[in-house]
Amino acid sequence: MRARVAEAWVEAPLQRFVDDARVQFALLLHPSGQVLGQFGFTRAVDVMAACALGAAIHASAGELGKELDGHPFRELYHAGRDRQVFIAEAPTARGALVLLTAFDAESSLGLVQVYFRELRDALRDAAPPPVESGPALDVNFEQDLNRSLAVLFGRAQSPAPGDAGAPRPPA
Amino acid sequence: MSTPYTDVLSAVTRQRGVLGCILVSEADGIIVEANVQVGIEAGVAGALVASLYRRARLGTDAAGLATVGFLQLEAEQGHVCAVGRDGLVLATLAEPKAHIGLIRSAMLHAMEALP
Repeated sequence: MRARVAEAWVEAPLQRFVDDARVQFALLLHPSGQVLGQFGFTRAVDVMAACALGAAIHASAGELGKELDGHPFRELYHAGRDRQVFIAEAPTARGALVLLTAFDAESSLGLVQVYFRELRDALRDAAPPPVESGPALDVNFEQDLNRSLAVLFGRAQSPAPGDAGAPRPPA
Repeated sequence: MSTPYTDVLSAVTRQRGVLGCILVSEADGIIVEANVQVGIEAGVAGALVASLYRRARLGTDAAGLATVGFLQLEAEQGHVCAVGRDGLVLATLAEPKAHIGLIRSAMLHAMEALP
């Protein structure tokens, strides 16, 4: 199974991460909840829900970390009965991205952490220069969100890197 | 800072040719204690060796060969050895010229001595 992406520059790093870490699901999103790439999901509505929840968890954890520790928590891990969830932030020239991934006993937290660091470095190196962007919740936000989902599930063409029509990172 | 595992690992790292010794959780690949030479990424090696050991254990189980006693991986520039017990894996990284027999013996004794 291949990773599906809304922006071409995240495809190779994300595909390598899912191949190496053997995760079941992976989502790469902006902290605003806008999806950049996904692996393992078959329905757009599931991606939308996971992005909204992942962004909310990431934001909450960031604030909680600031309260407790003076700075945001970098990584979050939750172990369920059969599956485990790992959420972490990857800074890039296009702004911070959030990885949300779920895995079972085929992988392990240690492996996911190891390959997340590789993903973070690869994204940092692959990120194109930042484009001028508007506020996170500007008038085009919903349109961009829907376009990302349409691209991920093959209902629209992927924009070229640096294309003004590409989904924009938050300010 | 000394932990209950420090002496156990020291007994292995004292062996000639040993580059490092890592005690890691088999299930999640997280390091419990590590004593490695500068330049070795204990977190990466620990996670990968734990995964390798787990798969080897599942493989021998599935083949009806019971549990893995001692796992040795020979690489171009050294050896990786691993033994496991109660969800923990003791991994040792050694130079090519290291005496694997002595290291094996030290590792098996170390696993018995684990608290």
